[in-house]
Amino acid sequence: MTMLEVKNLKRTFTTKDNMFGRREVKAVRDVSFTIPDGGVISFIGESGCGKTTIGRIVAGLETPTDGTVLLDGIDIHRANPKERRELMRQIQLIQQDPYQALNPAHTIEEALAQPLRLMAKRKAGVSNAWIQDRMAEVLSLVGLDPAAILYKYPHMLSGGQRQRVVIARALTVEPKVLVADEAVSMIDVSLRLGVLHLLRNLREKLNISVLFITHDVAASRYLGRDGKVFVIYKGMIVEEGATDTVINGPTHPYTQALLSAVPVLKGLEVPGSQRFYVEKELSQDGLSEEGCLFASRCPFATAECRRQLPPLAGDSHKSACLYPYERQVTARMLD
Amino acid sequence: MNAELQLIDAQTAVQVRGLNVVYETTQGDIPAVQNVNLDIRKGQITGIIGESGSGKSTLVMAMMNAVAKPGRVASGSIEVSGVGDMMKLSTEQQRRARSTELGLVFQAAQNSLNPLRRIGHQVLDLGRSHGVKDLRALLRKAKDLLERLGLDADRVLTAYQHELSGGMRQRVGIMFALVLDAKVVILDEATTALDMLSQASVLQIVRELHEERGLTTILITHDMGVVGDLADRVVVMYAGCIVEEGVTQEVLTSPKHPYTRGLIRAIPRISGDIDKAVPLSGSPPDMNTYKQPGCLFADRCPLAAPECQQSRPPLLEVETGRHVACFRVNDHA
Amino acid sequence: MVVAQTQLSNGQARRRHHREPFLRFALKTIVKKPGRLIGFLIIVLFILMAIFGPMLYPKNLPIDPNAIYAPISWKYPLGTDFEGTSNLALVITGARYVLFAAAMGALFTVVFGTVLGLLSGYFAGATDSVIMRITDFILTLPSFPLLVVLSTVWNFGQPVAMGFVLGITGWGGLARAVRSQTLTLRERGFIEAARGLGLSSGHILFRQLMPNVGSYIAMNLLLAVTGSIYAEVGLFFLGVVPFHVNNWGVMLNLAVFSGGAMSSPQALPYLLSPMLALLILTLGIVLFLDAVDEMFNPRLREV
Repeated sequence: MTMLEVKNLKRTFTTKDNMFGRREVKAVRDVSFTIPDGGVISFIGESGCGKTTIGRIVAGLETPTDGTVLLDGIDIHRANPKERRELMRQIQLIQQDPYQALNPAHTIEEALAQPLRLMAKRKAGVSNAWIQDRMAEVLSLVGLDPAAILYKYPHMLSGGQRQRVVIARALTVEPKVLVADEAVSMIDVSLRLGVLHLLRNLREKLNISVLFITHDVAASRYLGRDGKVFVIYKGMIVEEGATDTVINGPTHPYTQALLSAVPVLKGLEVPGSQRFYVEKELSQDGLSEEGCLFASRCPFATAECRRQLPPLAGDSHKSACLYPYERQVTARMLD
Repeated sequence: MNAELQLIDAQTAVQVRGLNVVYETTQGDIPAVQNVNLDIRKGQITGIIGESGSGKSTLVMAMMNAVAKPGRVASGSIEVSGVGDMMKLSTEQQRRARSTELGLVFQAAQNSLNPLRRIGHQVLDLGRSHGVKDLRALLRKAKDLLERLGLDADRVLTAYQHELSGGMRQRVGIMFALVLDAKVVILDEATTALDMLSQASVLQIVRELHEERGLTTILITHDMGVVGDLADRVVVMYAGCIVEEGVTQEVLTSPKHPYTRGLIRAIPRISGDIDKAVPLSGSPPDMNTYKQPGCLFADRCPLAAPECQQSRPPLLEVETGRHVACFRVNDHA
Repeated sequence: MVVAQTQLSNGQARRRHHREPFLRFALKTIVKKPGRLIGFLIIVLFILMAIFGPMLYPKNLPIDPNAIYAPISWKYPLGTDFEGTSNLALVITGARYVLFAAAMGALFTVVFGTVLGLLSGYFAGATDSVIMRITDFILTLPSFPLLVVLSTVWNFGQPVAMGFVLGITGWGGLARAVRSQTLTLRERGFIEAARGLGLSSGHILFRQLMPNVGSYIAMNLLLAVTGSIYAEVGLFFLGVVPFHVNNWGVMLNLAVFSGGAMSSPQALPYLLSPMLALLILTLGIVLFLDAVDEMFNPRLREV
């Protein structure tokens, strides 16, 4: 059973240069994917590739220029306002920055009580005690001690604790999908894995689907091992497939460049034999609309690549490259 | 230059002894760097790894004797090869030493560039403030360096900071650190704000320049991957103390301090069994951590024994060139 | 993983940690620095004066024909006026109208400014355009001349009416400032999270956004008080508002235009005593402002 289905998503931002001229930036160009019930998929890409915009559209915080986001078959952007609010509740976004995601003027108790009061109203016939119980329940689900944390203000917590509170707050409204946008990149390294572990557990315990947006390939491997990864470049999917298939045998040069860029731990790992570096910077200007979007940076590009845009092709492992070719770029663990 | 020079041997570029840095707050002094003894070896890449608040940045600012208020170097000496003890030099001598001996590359470099002056002008400003006679030659040197870093030198020199991308700015920062022929280059989280592909190419450039110019490079980061990929030696800091130090390969393959071990285990990798990654337990050090007399890591440590709560383990040499600060260094499985 | 050992007993979860009450926290903030305390005491003194002042004296203040423009003495600490009435009594009994009208003015300013600023900044788009055009209109109105004109058609015997007019003309600046603060706040993660959780707009505006501009509003409230005092005292001084009651503005007017305080030194105390009152009150407010920012900043609250 398919739960979240995204079809042909497009988002164009228009910026006014001056009174007469305007410029269009295509943040998302034709992206389609599905997340099965309780499943996980990861979006991998550099900052500015459009992955955050996709997450925000899925969470209902932004409207797509074109395309649909279906939750159990209902289009969340074309539902009536009441239905829409209900659908938005079921898809919760965990933002990158836990320092901005909590209101500095509210204690953790207030932050959790607000959405719970709303839920209590929907449920009808539940008492104030239910709110208190739920509060303790969601906090222990994320591994925090309610008695030690409820009365605190956000600035008294570490980054890891804040992100746990943010996740607990999302759980108060009993969502079906969590969109985790770079959810661990601003947390101290030693605490990152703990939060990833928590998201993994929530999937198993509560059957919540996870859309994990990240630049960290290894993190996507930890959280989305049994799911799929989508590699995004300039708002397009350039490669998709089962997580381990893509990481161990990437066929698109961009995916290969990303995997080459992962640092190799001396003595523990050996670099892939065909590891390569991309020298040029990602830029938005001077973007020709013709040909492969990665051609200008691709070390393997031919004249043909600059002429036609390759479609996303393949069966279960898809790649948007005219010359898909598997290269040994991924580091290998030594025994 | 002076007698103290003889104190450090020819292999050492910077020698830190008994360094203590405190931050003055209304609730009293908070130790940011505690009893640090460290030799930075000439011609090597030394990685200093630690989380936010571990004191790694404060340590290198102290190396340049440039700790900002409310921080203060409480005690200790910092011998820089060819310069002397930074703590005893005059302000003017210290200023000269920065850039000509010690070059610092800040995080993403955007804060170290003047947003209102072209890059070329800033090169000239730097030259003038260091009394460079031949400014034309300096500019030529900057140009060569920028080209070596893979940038369009003419465009960059006439550009303002905001016209450059993050990766370009970082390269410009490296140029500024090297243009006065600094022998010791310090990169403070220099790749943290960059994209993966830019990070990889900046690291590659750092590696190449290090070899070409025979530099001594200090890399400060919270990313074990960056250190593991690039550094010859690694220094692990926790709550202002060095807990482990040694050759990168050895530290990574057989970490001896429980924190190092936990940290390496807590990083998911792209190869091998992903389920071997285990989160580090406990919470990061806070005000109360510093107040107790025992080992700073004791409350998160799986091996903590009663003695660990009583006193702080000193940093001892357990093998040649390998230092660990742990009472139970021989007790792990 | 940081799994805290959590016993899910209801009793434990329900045991509420009581935060420090706001008043106690506010008091602690005030006593931190002597300047703040002095400012606070001055404000309290004036408030007491406004509430109880008129009760201390008979409705018609006693006249002493033998002590016209009497110099400063124990009996007349601030001298007397042209009828031999104690200036101190005049200042004290006059405080009520001045302060009450100023408080009302400040209240109207802050309520209009905050609500319109929040609405404009949060909803943006058409709502923002409409509110901001009205704000621009209010800002470009020369408010003092407008007050003069309004006072000819309006009866200002009631301080509420005076306060309302002062508020109507004064909220523009605050609305703009609150709007710009709201514009930056609405981009913050917690506002988006609140939307995603399905919390209502009213909740977002007044429970999420407003506490974050709290210190700003409180500071503006105090500044609006001084502004309103100057404006109304000015109106009375110019004599464009009929003198229904005794107040500081009326005293100034009479001292300058009928009492000859500008030419005869004996009348000087009559002119200076309301000015002294104004000066001290302003000083008190300025000193107190220092504490306000800290009082409303949640980062400084202890648990």
